[in-house]
Amino acid sequence: MTELNDIEDYIARMALGDRDAFAALYRATSAKLFGVCLRVLGEQAEAEDALQEVFVKIWHNASRYQVNGLSPMTWLITIARNLSIDRLRARRKAGGGSMDEAEALADTRPGPEALTLAASDRGQIVACMNELSPDRADAVRRAYLEGETYQELADRYDQPLNTIRTWLRRSLMKLKECLSR
Amino acid sequence: MTDDVNKSAGDDSAGMEQAAEYALGLLTPDAASAFEAQMVTDPAAREAYAFWATTLASLTDDIAPVAPPKGVEDRINAALFGAQRKPRTILERLGSRPLAFAMTIMALTVLWVTLQPDVAPTVVPDYRAEIAAEDNSLIVLASFDVETRQLLISRTEGGARPGRTLQLWLIAGDAAPVSLGVLPDQTNVTLAVGDALVMAMAEGVLAISDEPLGGSPTGLPTGDVLAVGSVTRL
Repeated sequence: MTELNDIEDYIARMALGDRDAFAALYRATSAKLFGVCLRVLGEQAEAEDALQEVFVKIWHNASRYQVNGLSPMTWLITIARNLSIDRLRARRKAGGGSMDEAEALADTRPGPEALTLAASDRGQIVACMNELSPDRADAVRRAYLEGETYQELADRYDQPLNTIRTWLRRSLMKLKECLSR
Repeated sequence: MTDDVNKSAGDDSAGMEQAAEYALGLLTPDAASAFEAQMVTDPAAREAYAFWATTLASLTDDIAPVAPPKGVEDRINAALFGAQRKPRTILERLGSRPLAFAMTIMALTVLWVTLQPDVAPTVVPDYRAEIAAEDNSLIVLASFDVETRQLLISRTEGGARPGRTLQLWLIAGDAAPVSLGVLPDQTNVTLAVGDALVMAMAEGVLAISDEPLGGSPTGLPTGDVLAVGSVTRL
């Protein structure tokens, strides 16, 4: 079982150009990240292309990892999710901005909230999602894992755009409040 | 910058909402760019984003791992490294456990910094970095010459906030940031880099933070990280 610290170590060594560390990171995380690409894209060939893009990006951005404030698995999953969503949206020709830079932004260290969350039981997130009504939890999942935009959610739930926006924002704040308890 | 950008994101639920919408990719391109700019200067916005990135990533917890076909790794290696032989890095040439060695030395070394205002570059640099804010409100170009250990700094855009100062940091691997010095008001300066930091410089990241006059009192960045740039070999 690969420990979280190992993954941080691989990324730090990759930032110094260590290809063995890259191979080790690939062994440790490619199945999880490929699972995420497959789940979002639903298509083997495109998920393989996405995974290639993901690891190329991880290699190039390894030196920026230390300043981006995310835990290593969050960083890797966010890259896999965002690149997959970009492909999905390009396929759908839907609106919404590119997610490409989201995980690359700078911070010096994890913020207090990120630390609190990392320390808390991950099961808490499941519990808090379950506190939302099923369709609202479903909308949050669809926005994250299907990349659905406000317009697409409005069409799906047959609601006005502003209603959907309010809906989703309230669900997210309820989630935040539950996780902060 | 608009007032909106200067508002702190963690202060109110609107800021948390915006961070969540950004993490989900629900903002318009303009609003997303504005939020990215805000994150550069606002730690609360970065914290809010980190919170949502972490929370949302856990929605993938129940996605089962699927081993990718063998060919994918070969394609990735070909795309990244081609057929060329693996070049050895500076660190690898220094023998086993170079990172630990470098970090120990770095911790023990007192970095001496001399400031020589407005010296024109006379050496051919080996490494360079563009240390820039996301919105380009602060841009500092750095070039480093291994032979002379000189780091030439040229500030082309922006400056310190009123009553504050800019401090330059080197971040290598998983080590804590090491201060390279406080940047004076002059736009061009030369910093002398201690021998122990040369290796770290080669593959490091340079960052500039907002600090009280005289520099960080703690030896680590205390204010907003204003600009970041990776060091690349020329």
